[in-house]
Amino acid sequence: MMSITQQTNASELTFGAKVSGFFQNYYIYFVLVAVVAILASANLDQFDLFERGNFLNKRNIINILRISAPLLVLAGTFTLLMVSGYIDLSVGSVMGLSAVVYALLAINGVPFLPAFVLTMIIGAGLGAINGLLVVRLNITPVIATLITLSLFKGAALLLVQDGVSAIKSGNGLKMPSWFNSYGREGVLLNLPASFWVAAAVTILLIIIQNRGTLGKYAAATGGNPTAAKLSGINTGRTVFTLYVIVGVSAALAGIARSSFMSLGDPLSGDGMELTAILVVLLGGTAFSGGEGKVLRSFVGALIIMALTVGMLTIVPAYYQAFVIGSALLLAAASNHFISQKGKAS
Amino acid sequence: MTGQQTFTVLSVEELTKDYPGVRAVDQVSFVIENSTIHCLVGENGAGKSTLVKMLTGALEPTSGSMSVNGKAYAPTSPQEAREGGLATLFQELHVVDELTVLENLTLGMEKSRFGFLIKSDLEDRMIKTLAAIEPSIDPTARVSSLSVAQKQIIEIARAASSGANIIIMDEPTAALSEREVERLFGVIRRLRESNVTVIYISHKLDEIFELGDNVTVLRDGKHIATKPLSEVNGRAELIEMMIGRTVFQNYTPRAGIGDKVVLQAQGVTNKLLKNVSFDIKEGEIVGFYGLVGAGKTEIARALFGADPFEGSVTYKGKPVGTTPKEAIASGIALVPEERRTQGLFTELTIRENVPVMNLPRVSKSGIFKARDVRDASLRYVDQLGIATSSIEKHAEKLSGGNQQKVVFAKCLFSKADLLLLDEPTRGVDVGAKTEIYDIIKELADEGDAIAVFSSELEEVLGICDRVFLMFDGHLQEEITNGPDVDIAHILNVVTGGHEGDVI
Amino acid sequence: MSIVTEPFQILKLHRKMSDEAFITMLVTMVAIGLFLTASFLVPNFFQWQNVVNLVTNNWAVISLGIGVSFLLVSGNFDLSVGGIVALSGVLSVWFAQSTGGTNPLSTGLGFPYPLATICALGGALAIGAMNALFVVRFKIPSIIVTLGTMMVARGIAQIITHGSQRNTNLPSEFGFLGNLTMFGTSIKLPVVLMIVLLLIAVFVERKMVFGRITYWIGANPEAADLSGIDRAWHITKLYLFSAAIAGVVGILLASEYQSGFSNRGLLMEFDALVIALLGGVAITGGFGSVIGMFFGAIILAVVTSAATGLVLSPDWQFILKAVAVFLAIVTQTWALARRNR
Repeated sequence: MMSITQQTNASELTFGAKVSGFFQNYYIYFVLVAVVAILASANLDQFDLFERGNFLNKRNIINILRISAPLLVLAGTFTLLMVSGYIDLSVGSVMGLSAVVYALLAINGVPFLPAFVLTMIIGAGLGAINGLLVVRLNITPVIATLITLSLFKGAALLLVQDGVSAIKSGNGLKMPSWFNSYGREGVLLNLPASFWVAAAVTILLIIIQNRGTLGKYAAATGGNPTAAKLSGINTGRTVFTLYVIVGVSAALAGIARSSFMSLGDPLSGDGMELTAILVVLLGGTAFSGGEGKVLRSFVGALIIMALTVGMLTIVPAYYQAFVIGSALLLAAASNHFISQKGKAS
Repeated sequence: MTGQQTFTVLSVEELTKDYPGVRAVDQVSFVIENSTIHCLVGENGAGKSTLVKMLTGALEPTSGSMSVNGKAYAPTSPQEAREGGLATLFQELHVVDELTVLENLTLGMEKSRFGFLIKSDLEDRMIKTLAAIEPSIDPTARVSSLSVAQKQIIEIARAASSGANIIIMDEPTAALSEREVERLFGVIRRLRESNVTVIYISHKLDEIFELGDNVTVLRDGKHIATKPLSEVNGRAELIEMMIGRTVFQNYTPRAGIGDKVVLQAQGVTNKLLKNVSFDIKEGEIVGFYGLVGAGKTEIARALFGADPFEGSVTYKGKPVGTTPKEAIASGIALVPEERRTQGLFTELTIRENVPVMNLPRVSKSGIFKARDVRDASLRYVDQLGIATSSIEKHAEKLSGGNQQKVVFAKCLFSKADLLLLDEPTRGVDVGAKTEIYDIIKELADEGDAIAVFSSELEEVLGICDRVFLMFDGHLQEEITNGPDVDIAHILNVVTGGHEGDVI
Repeated sequence: MSIVTEPFQILKLHRKMSDEAFITMLVTMVAIGLFLTASFLVPNFFQWQNVVNLVTNNWAVISLGIGVSFLLVSGNFDLSVGGIVALSGVLSVWFAQSTGGTNPLSTGLGFPYPLATICALGGALAIGAMNALFVVRFKIPSIIVTLGTMMVARGIAQIITHGSQRNTNLPSEFGFLGNLTMFGTSIKLPVVLMIVLLLIAVFVERKMVFGRITYWIGANPEAADLSGIDRAWHITKLYLFSAAIAGVVGILLASEYQSGFSNRGLLMEFDALVIALLGGVAITGGFGSVIGMFFGAIILAVVTSAATGLVLSPDWQFILKAVAVFLAIVTQTWALARRNR
């Protein structure tokens, strides 16, 4: 004696369920439009803090996209990891360590490409350490990646000599002139390579999510691990791979930020894990696993960056922590209510 | 059946499984022919599930052999069983809600190059298989939007297209509505037409007669018969084969059942229960007997405040609470169905397990009286005969029977006078079983009211004064236990038969 | 089945040490062993004053560790305590600052100091209540919730202090509590308070119903529900207590330094978690003890101060913490598996 709705299939969903499904899939774009519209309509000239004119001017947009590159390159892989039901709190430290390594290589005369590739390989290695702790040694993901958060951060700090806060020109060493072109110099549409790498990574990940075994296995591992294992999927290997690619993309994020700031700052990734979680939750990924889309997280990252930068033109910088924290709680709560609603209908 | 040649797809020879002290399956031999629906019936404890576990590779036989499709067959995992040609439809569903139907069907079998999925005939084959057995399911729909029945069909399609030509279905209709059952039967018949053999296990005899070609009956671990259902003379003969002539029944009427009704349930209705009404008297042991999924656990949980329900339940004249906490305070205690996950704190010691349901009894202004805690544990270890070297032993390290006694100790310590016992002897060895029955009777003699929820007929008829028969969420009938109880009638009622179908 | 009167003796004889006591003992031994090792390696390490310092310098983290440990035992994280330390400290300053200062950062609300502390504590409890609301009611993983509230609490502190600190225009009694020395020694009130809290916590954990309920919930939440334990309310209380301790710590630190600094307590939530994990508290099921946490703090203190003594740069502390926690977890798993084989 089941109700009618339970027997229908997808094509016969009730109107309410359809609306709620539509909302779940596309709300993120409305939020982006709304945020941009609000920031654009606020006449920023009236605020005496930053006089940059209209939010929607070209320089401003390019600037935001340049600053966003690290978060954008990280959002996609982080989404896949959370879809599989796991989490990585060490991404900020991986970023910081990569930034330092990359700057060290550059300042010691290693050319761009080898430095770039080497840093990515190190990122993969750091991700592999996370994967081993979680998959092999069975340490709770939160605790395992808190351990590596501390470990990688320590390593990054130690690579920078005492009394200096970051790797930068000085003491007879000079950053090569190419160093900040990756993160700053426009190569196409006035946007730097770091942005295009992030875009390419995102497109690749969208394809992986829709057409790759990894994307499918991540969803299966997060959605129903028992079913995944019974179907012969090696869930341990899936999770390990995901940690490795998160490590690589965190390294790319570190390179982008280091290049943008022209220095190797060991703390440049601090708080990134929080922003990454926020962005992924904003994109509608459930923390119970199984659900979530790379593209929506990408848009979520754009929203957060627009908000942060836009906010800087309205309120002082010290409002940022409060706003990010509140946004995280709001995103988590609204995810909860949306999924509750989905269950009820 | 079509006129094609018949041959054996599965044969079982002298298959035996011994557990310490018990022979669960005793030299069972039978064969299953191709493209048939072969039903497996037997009472609880007849050895069906042990047999199935050996077939699916979850258990290793003590002796005997099996062969599938003419080859020797000794699987050690469900994967191996599937490779050998035998797939299983488990009771809990193994589908990924977040993926589409097609993605679920191909999960783990994808063809890929450099990690990217490539087009192959796999998808088309899957879509065809699905269309052949249930055309109404859209392969691109997300599984989360499907009903339980539809998810089940997806698992069947998966099994059918994985190359297995034998599919075991264990109580597949337990969670389905009548209309969905019809749909599933259609699927099963279409499977048979496409040369798949289905081993169908169900307690619902009507389903067996409606669907099955052949039937194998097990009783007490032994093989009783394998024959075409057309040669079985109705429910009566099947039930007779299942129970034999000897249902061990040692019920002796108990004195001391009070006249006072302590619990009165009226029209209890929730997700599974439909308008259930009954009462329990002081000092009485009542039994709820029915198949898996008939609603026994749901009644226990509703009375205990663990699940919401409509209707009224009063205990000693007052409505029962809506949380376990209130239920315990009013004097009701539950021994839950799954003792390891619901009843016990396995990582903690016996001493720490016993007092949890009645903390005021061992504490004063929030501080434990250590001596009382220890004495309480020692007393119950002694009183219930819990075999342990120390009360500091972790509950995890006790045997099943002793673990169950610790759960009993928890409930007794709560000073409850209405005990709800959900499958109180599941996974308990014979010796401990008798001891638990003695404990139950003794408690009732002291004036406690006791409700036993069980799917073992012998248990219910052995200790209960009154028995309520459950089927599909309905309380079908009330029976007063005694020497002249009609067992065939009981089995008929709980398997979905109606008054007057038998005899 | 009659009650026999003398089976008790036989049963008592077989009592052995519990796993928890075993791990606590192990942690204690490691702490002592490390101290002795450090004494050999580092000059002037083996001194009574140094032992005292190891405890007194860490009063804040150990105090926070109490609330964090209880929550961990119940299966929940609390990463918000560092933020709460900053928030309550800043609030106590802001409420107590007199009105009419020369600039925004020197103008407060002018409450009398006792009222200011009570209100600051209220702010801390509000964060605790928020943790409970999101974890218990919305069922959002505690790690995400408390990361969020950590930012919110610190964020409010940053807004009030404009990202720096408030330290002017304070009443004279503001610095009293944090700098009060006790019993004619140099030991300050906060240290005494930490010891009292620790003793209460040990008592609650061992002897009180409240403490054991925490373990029951951690060991098996479903069985706890079916045994009549009000899980939601208990976890709510744990979050409130943890926040209250963090609030008091924040108020005392503000008083000690006579300033409300928005970056105070930075990373303290991680240190509190680290010492709990070092002390053998496990997230996976009702295991651990406050005494273990205390010795976990000693281990961390010995390791970091020995490292400083060996002229390692302070940057080493992150790696040392990581390695220590990793070793603690792996050793504990191994030791328990071996013991219970």
